[in-house]
Amino acid sequence: MTPAVSGPIYRWEVGRKGQLAAAMLQLAPPVMALLRTVRPLLRLGSFWVVTRYDDVLEVFDTDAVYGVPYQPNLQVITASHPFFLGMPDGPEYQAQLATMQAVVLASDLPHLGDEAERLAAARIGAANGRIELVSFVRGVAFDLIARYFGISEPAPGSFALWGSRLFEFQFTGSAQDKAWRAEAEEFAVNFQKHIDRAIAARREVVAAGVSPDDVLGRCLARQAAGAPGYSDVEIRTAILCMIVGGPPQPPMVLPQAIEQLLRRPAWFAAAQQAARLDTPDNNDRLRAIITEAMRFDPLAPGFKRVALSSHELASGTPRARRIPAGATVFAATASAMMDERRVPQPSCFDPDRHAHNYLHFGHGLHECFGRFINHATLHRMVKPLLARPGLRRARGSAGRLEKRGPFAHRLELVFDDDA
Amino acid sequence: MKQVTLCVPLEVKPESCSRLTAAIEDLKRQEDKSADPNSPNFWRLRERIPTLHFMSISVFPAHDYDPVFILEANFDGPEGAFWNDLTAVVGEELRVMIRCCKRPSDGTGALYDAVTALASKRSVAPYFEARTQRPSVFHHGNRGLACQQILRDHSVFLETVEELDRRAPQLYRGEAPAKVHADLRTALLPNHRWLDDQAPERISPAERITDWAALTLFVLLLLAVAAAPGLLLAGLGVARDHLVAMALASVVATAAALLFWVRHLEVRDSSHDRPRQDERMLREMIRREDWITQNHMGSIVLIKPGVLRTVIVRAGHRGLHLALRALRASRAGYLGSMRTVHFAHWAFLNNHSRLLFFSNFDHSWDSYLDDFIEKAHGGLTLAWGCGVGFPTTRYLVGEGAEHGRQFKAWALASRTVSRFWYSAYPDLTVDQIERNHRIANGLRNKSLDDSAAEAWMLDL
Repeated sequence: MTPAVSGPIYRWEVGRKGQLAAAMLQLAPPVMALLRTVRPLLRLGSFWVVTRYDDVLEVFDTDAVYGVPYQPNLQVITASHPFFLGMPDGPEYQAQLATMQAVVLASDLPHLGDEAERLAAARIGAANGRIELVSFVRGVAFDLIARYFGISEPAPGSFALWGSRLFEFQFTGSAQDKAWRAEAEEFAVNFQKHIDRAIAARREVVAAGVSPDDVLGRCLARQAAGAPGYSDVEIRTAILCMIVGGPPQPPMVLPQAIEQLLRRPAWFAAAQQAARLDTPDNNDRLRAIITEAMRFDPLAPGFKRVALSSHELASGTPRARRIPAGATVFAATASAMMDERRVPQPSCFDPDRHAHNYLHFGHGLHECFGRFINHATLHRMVKPLLARPGLRRARGSAGRLEKRGPFAHRLELVFDDDA
Repeated sequence: MKQVTLCVPLEVKPESCSRLTAAIEDLKRQEDKSADPNSPNFWRLRERIPTLHFMSISVFPAHDYDPVFILEANFDGPEGAFWNDLTAVVGEELRVMIRCCKRPSDGTGALYDAVTALASKRSVAPYFEARTQRPSVFHHGNRGLACQQILRDHSVFLETVEELDRRAPQLYRGEAPAKVHADLRTALLPNHRWLDDQAPERISPAERITDWAALTLFVLLLLAVAAAPGLLLAGLGVARDHLVAMALASVVATAAALLFWVRHLEVRDSSHDRPRQDERMLREMIRREDWITQNHMGSIVLIKPGVLRTVIVRAGHRGLHLALRALRASRAGYLGSMRTVHFAHWAFLNNHSRLLFFSNFDHSWDSYLDDFIEKAHGGLTLAWGCGVGFPTTRYLVGEGAEHGRQFKAWALASRTVSRFWYSAYPDLTVDQIERNHRIANGLRNKSLDDSAAEAWMLDL
């Protein structure tokens, strides 16, 4: 059986390396706190770590200098077809962005939120009082996004496997690593073929007079109307990248957020109360609590950028350093969100913080395209679970969040199943 | 609870002054929706900077200097978070204003370049931080009450009034005070669960101790300086066995000498009895005043030259500041017997050659100054007496502001138009805020006995 059909969700899950890396990452917050004070811009050869809020924002805002390094890996995933995630700002970037904005609509968000909650509730109903949170959220997230984009689950294989492995390759892998690259290519080719088949099948369905209102349907309608940017390859590339970039995020970040809440019983209780009181205000409250919990263990410790030209970062301040062209710059968003110089009382759990205190999905030109979908759906994915009475950790180590490298691996919860 | 008062003075490029003024007016038009009853007024500042009590942006023209842009802010909590919040709301508007100002020639020039560069997206927060001017004297009315607490207390007050009106007043009239308190608490609690929490401490014991320690240290330092000549003489062998007596004699002699010197200068000072008023500016100031319960003023004056004056004005401001922090009335939320000042401060500008004053106060400017003249003329004379043209003073604290008409004319001439001014609670006086707080605090008690409830009801 090929890896594209079954296998571990992440390469980090194989062997001891993932556990070791996870243990190392546990040390990051105190190290970053120290760096923010003594060496806010740390140079490690050609690798620079940017730790303060102001400087992280400057890196993101100066996108003409600090470019995204995603292109080489992205080419492996898309078979060298361009996608705006890997592009600098310019007409091509803006055109591609506009084509996606025309089919992924703000008006879909309320429905997506409801759908996320419905899918989650259905899975919890069949859970018999015990749930492994990471795989639970993964199932909901991929199911939700696949339906929204109009692509059915592959057989053999699975979106969760393909999407997660390609996400891992895109953001933590290297195209220079031949074995990893070959593996990623296999996943990518399978994924591309599956979407191609879905496009062909949809075209037949549309020809038969049925036209489901999903992203694929909208893309094909625009293609039929002659709108630029919607060739079959462009549609395939966009849907592929969206499924690779989006749904792997919730199973990383939501178990981490729940783990943080479980460590704070009063806030865990507040989240449960908000989940049980099914009103828009309480949905907002739950979102705020989850978003704040994520700040204590975010999606990623930071984002990489590459200096395209020499640039003085934090110029005009005593910590100013000149970053040479070609250097890799790590904008440590997790550290920035804990920077007491800009974030009031960062060690306090405060769900009433302003949106600009959060950098969960980056900032500026390449801020995550799916951030609005995350905003609408993340809290709704765990809402039915939080609403369950008697929700608590499973006994023993299974009830503690386990990670492999930067990825959440397991967290088991139990609840009273008689509700 | 930490509260901060600060200002950011920036020298304006003379050729950009009208553009800067227009930018401030644009910001005012954008945020101030008071003319439109359907739009919430200043909602962006109110919602997104919940720690901000008052903020003003002004441009001060001058004959002796280029115009100066000043942003004044009074807020709760750490400064870095405030600047971050402010720039998240109006950062680009502030960048336009900075571009109208001169590049500073001190160490912040590079930061100015970074934030004003063409198409710069660099946050202006670090620049404002670097250019912040600390006040020499400040007063916080309703000290220790966070902005959100003031608003919460007020909503309790309004609901209390509503509840009293809703139920026929006679139903309360015949009841025991403790029962009235219990009924009102029961009625308000569902909408104000925080009434179940203990009231946060307005001024912590550590803060009080620090305030008194700083004042004591300052007085001891003054005494040490005054005693130094006597101690020096004793060290040189003059009355070596009478060290204490020499120190005391030195303090008396130094004080006498300084007073003599001060008086010598005072009688030769010129007061500016009829300063020239800019009619256009006066009309503009009048046009903007008395729309709401509160008003705002900003003033800059030149400081009299001389070594003694330089020393005295700094020491006087330091002492006044420390006294204002330690005094019981100030801790209770008032400026001595004055109950109309929310946030006020003095700050030195241009290497201590100019003195800035900002105040956010209740009622009209005239009655505010009358209040000052009547109740706090000594402190006012001490703080402002160093200003060129100030009415004749006597031993630093005498006369001066007592010359009411002259003082008002002098103060008026030093003012400028408050082009942008924001108050988080424009309808509340200092007194009303204290009253609201007492009512809310009373309701935090699960029960009161009749005598305590009766005393509490006096505020209803």
